[in-house]
Amino acid sequence: MEIILQNLDLFIFLALMVLGYTAGSIAEKRHYKSIHRREKELVKLAVVTAEGRFREGAVKDSFLVNGSTVISNDYFKRLLAILRNIVGGRVKAYESLIDRSRREAILRMKEKARAGGAHMIVNLRLETSTIGRSANKKNRVGSIETLAYGTAVVMNRP
Amino acid sequence: MKFTPKNIEENVNVSKTHPLVEFGWLLGGLLLLVLILYLLLGVATDIAVAKIPVSVEVWLGEHFVDRMDALENEPLQRLIQPLLDNLPADSPLREYDFYVQMVDNEQINALALPGGQIVVFSGLVEQAESENEVAMVLAHELGHFAHRDHLRRLGRGLGLTVAAIVLFGEDSAVSNLASKFFLVGESHYSREQESAADRFGLELLVAGYGHAGGATDFFARVGKDAGSRVPYLLASHPHPDDRVRELQGLIAANGYRVDAVVPLGQDLLDVLPVGEECRKESPGATADE
Repeated sequence: MEIILQNLDLFIFLALMVLGYTAGSIAEKRHYKSIHRREKELVKLAVVTAEGRFREGAVKDSFLVNGSTVISNDYFKRLLAILRNIVGGRVKAYESLIDRSRREAILRMKEKARAGGAHMIVNLRLETSTIGRSANKKNRVGSIETLAYGTAVVMNRP
Repeated sequence: MKFTPKNIEENVNVSKTHPLVEFGWLLGGLLLLVLILYLLLGVATDIAVAKIPVSVEVWLGEHFVDRMDALENEPLQRLIQPLLDNLPADSPLREYDFYVQMVDNEQINALALPGGQIVVFSGLVEQAESENEVAMVLAHELGHFAHRDHLRRLGRGLGLTVAAIVLFGEDSAVSNLASKFFLVGESHYSREQESAADRFGLELLVAGYGHAGGATDFFARVGKDAGSRVPYLLASHPHPDDRVRELQGLIAANGYRVDAVVPLGQDLLDVLPVGEECRKESPGATADE
């Protein structure tokens, strides 16, 4: 007991790391499962980055759709990134964060388009930003936001 | 252009490396680097310490160590004199001007400060049962001076701190982790220093008193209250029981006589702070000498 009290900050640090790793891995696994399922569901709804060009009278309606996500870093990933910062190289720990965030944002956007009866989304754009300017500094754990937006198009179909 | 819906199975945007594997490589490499640096620092310190004259240490002690509020120290000075008189003529300790003082503090402890100052806490004298015991503690502190342990500690500690700050920046999680990790190594190093000082102290005690009586009494008494060994894995001092065992081994190996001890002189008891009897058995006191 005494040894824990004497090295309290070390134990807190280790506990946070283990917590960050387990909770982070579980959250990531579940999120990917959900992403894969919903992507399959929505695969028929076309999303392109190209500007749409349609014959006159082909488009019944069009409207702006967007989807945004905020995904938090975890303690373990942050530590991994700090270590990586010393030697340089790909920050692999953050790759999955960005990937999840982008795919989730697109999915939300697609869900919105489907609710509006759209057949496709054109002009897709993605924007990513960090939340909290002090992310990664002073023991604070930051998060990223991804915004996906585009034009949902409802075709004139019989 | 025809749009063909297709599920993407392969994800090229996320690396396949398991995060724990990456963590292991990064942390392992870094620790190895720091370890090498630390060992180099240790060697450099050891070389430097041998070359730093006593006068520099005395100067350091005068300028960087706050003198504590001291009680009268004559009786303790009287105890250390026979030990000093029996030093070999070429001993580096002869260059010091030792100054023993007692501080009114219930901790069972004594300190060796750079420059020849030895501080004995009154708690240590209160619980002592013989002059020999106190002399053993003083001789142990003299051992720290003989081995130049302050300078070593200063060199390594300073080097480590600078290295951690340069590598990871001040106040970062990694440098906290690294310093914690190396504290274990450092405490092991310091346990060796303590054992070496014990050995030196025993020799000095035998030289001064002609026998090894009382050498282990103090640690034996402290050992009874010290409890489990587990906290001592990280402590800067060996477990008192281990120290007793080592000292007894040395006494047996060298064939030292163990004669009757001399009780504490009245002059020493007189200088103890008055009204201290009640805290004689102060629980939780640490033995640090």
